[in-house]
Amino acid sequence: MTQIPLIMPQLGESIAEAKVVSLMVKIGDQVEADQDVIEVETNKAIMNVTSPCRGRLVRLVAQLNESYPVGAILGFLEVSKVDAVRLGLEDRPRAVSASTPETDSASPVREPEDTRRQTVQPTVRGLPVPAHVGGASYMSPRLKARMAELGLHAADVASIAGSGAAGRVTIEDFEHFLANLERHKLTAASSMRVAVADAMRRSWTRPLATVGLPICLDALLAHRKTWEPKPGPTLYGLRALALALAENSAPAGRLVGAQIVHPSSIDVGFAVEAADGVLVPVLRQADKHPLRELNLRYNELVELARRRQLPADATGGSIATVTNFGTFGLTWATPIPLPEQTLVLGMGCGRRVPHWDEGQGQFVPITEANLTLSFDHRVLDGGAAGRLLTRIAVLLAQPEAL
Amino acid sequence: MSITYLEAIREAQAKALAEDSRVFIYGQDVGAFGGAFKATKNLAQQFPGRVIDAPISEDAMVGLAIGAALEGLRPIVEIQFADFSTICFNQIVNQAATMYWRMQIPCPITIRLPCGGTSGSGPFHSQSMEALYAHYPGLVVMTPATVEDAFSMLLEAVAIDDPVIFCEHKFLYYHLKAESLPREALPTGKARIARAGRDMTIVTYSAMVHESLAVAEELAGEGTEIEVVDLRSIKPLDTDTVMASVARTGRLLCVGEAWPWGGVTAEVIARVASEGLNLLDAPPQRLNAKDTPVPYHPNLWAAHRPTAHSITIAARNLLRL
Amino acid sequence: MLRSVASQLTENEGAVQPQAFLEAYRWMLLARILEDKLASLYRGGKIHGGVYLGRGQEALSVSVGQSLRKGDFFAPLIRDQAGRLAFGEPLVDAVRTYLGSPVGPMRSRDGNVHRGRPKEGIWPMLSHLGATIAVVNGVLLARRLKGIRGSVGVASLGEGGTSTGAFHEALNQAAIEKLPLVLVIANNQYAYSTPCTRQYACANLVDRAIGYGVQGHRLDGTDLVECLRVVGGAIQRAREGHGPQLVIGELLRLCGHGEHDDAGYIESRLKQSPLGRDCLSLAKMTILERRWADHPQLETWRQAAFKQVENTIIKVQHEPPPDPYQEDWTVLASRHLTEMAHLERTSS
Repeated sequence: MTQIPLIMPQLGESIAEAKVVSLMVKIGDQVEADQDVIEVETNKAIMNVTSPCRGRLVRLVAQLNESYPVGAILGFLEVSKVDAVRLGLEDRPRAVSASTPETDSASPVREPEDTRRQTVQPTVRGLPVPAHVGGASYMSPRLKARMAELGLHAADVASIAGSGAAGRVTIEDFEHFLANLERHKLTAASSMRVAVADAMRRSWTRPLATVGLPICLDALLAHRKTWEPKPGPTLYGLRALALALAENSAPAGRLVGAQIVHPSSIDVGFAVEAADGVLVPVLRQADKHPLRELNLRYNELVELARRRQLPADATGGSIATVTNFGTFGLTWATPIPLPEQTLVLGMGCGRRVPHWDEGQGQFVPITEANLTLSFDHRVLDGGAAGRLLTRIAVLLAQPEAL
Repeated sequence: MSITYLEAIREAQAKALAEDSRVFIYGQDVGAFGGAFKATKNLAQQFPGRVIDAPISEDAMVGLAIGAALEGLRPIVEIQFADFSTICFNQIVNQAATMYWRMQIPCPITIRLPCGGTSGSGPFHSQSMEALYAHYPGLVVMTPATVEDAFSMLLEAVAIDDPVIFCEHKFLYYHLKAESLPREALPTGKARIARAGRDMTIVTYSAMVHESLAVAEELAGEGTEIEVVDLRSIKPLDTDTVMASVARTGRLLCVGEAWPWGGVTAEVIARVASEGLNLLDAPPQRLNAKDTPVPYHPNLWAAHRPTAHSITIAARNLLRL
Repeated sequence: MLRSVASQLTENEGAVQPQAFLEAYRWMLLARILEDKLASLYRGGKIHGGVYLGRGQEALSVSVGQSLRKGDFFAPLIRDQAGRLAFGEPLVDAVRTYLGSPVGPMRSRDGNVHRGRPKEGIWPMLSHLGATIAVVNGVLLARRLKGIRGSVGVASLGEGGTSTGAFHEALNQAAIEKLPLVLVIANNQYAYSTPCTRQYACANLVDRAIGYGVQGHRLDGTDLVECLRVVGGAIQRAREGHGPQLVIGELLRLCGHGEHDDAGYIESRLKQSPLGRDCLSLAKMTILERRWADHPQLETWRQAAFKQVENTIIKVQHEPPPDPYQEDWTVLASRHLTEMAHLERTSS
């Protein structure tokens, strides 16, 4: 014996449901083919649901005065296998799920699904639709497609003076520019160069500013002499920066939208020149380890960096960077913070200069160097940057405490 | 010897009647009178019994054509003004256009619609109906712009096994002349580069082709080369030719005499925007008639539809974008 | 002069033969049994879309189908199951079209009563009533132009269909051209729920014949004898070149407009009047009265019809539904003019 369902039929083209108003048979009753079994009411008429086949009503799901959608199961008939086969009912019947009356009739029987409707919000709210876009920054779809073909960014073509409407770069300007390039000597940029170019281009999308301060290096230089191997001045700067940030990490926070993301660990990186670019190894939790401990690790990393053998976990994830441009003999520089960081601390080279000593009433020779702090001006103002730099200077004046 | 657009249509019908015994013409006043525009002048005498006068019953006229097509004949139905085809719209879109889809039997009828405005013709003698018919699946819609195309495309319309809506332009009937009739032509479904250019593409059809060519002439004097694409048939629409033209010029202006909403110009721009956005150097533009019924007074009519003057302004604006 | 024209046929025109009557009865019986079964399938949820029956109109309908010859042209209305069968439409066409089988004449593209075989003389119905009449005119005119003589075209309509402009245009056109068109109007008193009084203002529809310049006939649509005689006679008149014939059969619709409609608006006085008699029962009585067949014979025929219907339905129910991915979604016979590549990119 096979069980087949009694389905709510489509009683009119726009009818979606009907209400059961009378149950004409009860469970256990024997019914004939085409016998009326359930009376239902649509908003147009009262109709009967008929039995598709001779059989016995074994289950009644429909309840009086309840509404059921088209395709809903109202009950089950037990029919003989012979009848089921003869009438083609032995396959999964062609019932239609309650929530999708338009799907094809070969889908299997499902209990009527939860017809909870989701409200759909309009997705386009006030999207700017430029009707007549003009101006120097406008790039037409055609121009963008051409640039994408060649792997170029707006920064690459910044030098092109546009001859189009309101100074925009036209496709002709662009093609002239490209043709012009051909006349110059062209060498391939290394992948390191391209990576750095990309990082700097992304970093420069922020408003950057710099503050600077001269500091006296004598204490640091004296402290340094007593060690073997000698820690680099960069390491002193790094440790001082770490301690200062441990006291107040806000300056190293990142601005994302309207939120400041605070650093979770004082990991500080330092710039090492390698081949065609710069690598930035990282000292983790630099605030928690005194100088002595950091020194060994620092030297290891420098060596690995020079040999381009830095492991993956030794770079990335730092919250600030230190760069010693003094090693190139420079006294002043305004480095650019990495795109994912707010700060970069720069250290210039030391020079012997006369310094007015109030106590002694005369100029005395000291070794002086410039410290600079370049920062994302959206996160920090000059005051906060200045306070940070001053704190670093104070910490560097007492190297034995680092 | 020169031949007008209207004479070309008559010649084509004469040739069809002469070469194919299945062809007959059915319309109001087409018999002895020769048609309201004389498109069938003398044909009833030349081909007795095959140029039949119909009562004012556009619905029954097209219905009859469908029945005749079922019997293997190739009727040409002349609707006196395209504007009246709303009466037989049901027969065209619900019986003729669905015949092959529902019954797998082709319906080779040709419906000639005199379209477009002339000065003083007013709201019900000026309409351009092509977009309505192009919207329905199952129809071929032709919009010949030249004397040559009026001739060859009508012959092809009769030869095509599907229902063809042949939109002839009334203004061109006697204003457009050619030296001779062509022996060959581009096939239906291919657009024509009416004028080659470099700086902008104007895609258009029917009478607007001539307005656009006038604009191209004028702007050529200023050093701007405009390419004019004559669609010839708007369904099927030759997307490839349009796309290739836009690839060459980077700027697109679509011009049509019909109303803006959902017209041929909207369709062309939709296709170019979705399949060729990266070819565009400026947003695609279109120019259509004002969104009002066609006015009667010549002063108003002149301002209602695109003219060489208004197209020139639109073109110059596009060049500046 | 305006008088009700019952029929312009003479007494002897179209006198009915027993053989023809029995044949007609059997078609009516088959139609009735098929339609009962279709209604049942509908209530069992097996049919998508609507079901439209011709219960009560079988006599008028079968008279059309039976009086036409092979080669004639027939544009049926929605309630012409009996006439279709008599004219030669295979029973399986109805079942296949209702069940949406891709093997049916409309290949799943149209359903229920919107079916036909134009090359075999049956034009598929469409719901814009009156629009099919001009098509029949076209067929008849084309045959005349081709020199083919002797065929007739019939378009069936309800009284509601006579209100459309298309009806007027086409009948007028047929009259002007003096085409061998027979319009058979089943005046079943209701167009969906609209009674005749809201459909026309003339006293009798047949009076319109004078206005069009055609011959009119009015008959009792419940009486098969009348139907065979008058319809047969009108068709013969048309065939002989007397121009269009307008035939109005008065009867009552004995079912809903569609099976989704319980026809609660039909006035019971109509149901109880002679108009409301079941033509099938009447025909059966006539057969028995005139001893053209006996009870056992009738019962045998009934069972044979039942079996035929049941077997056809079972067969079609085993046929698979259409597969949208195997379908050829082409609307033009001229493939090269179909914008396939573009359409594939921009539609589902």
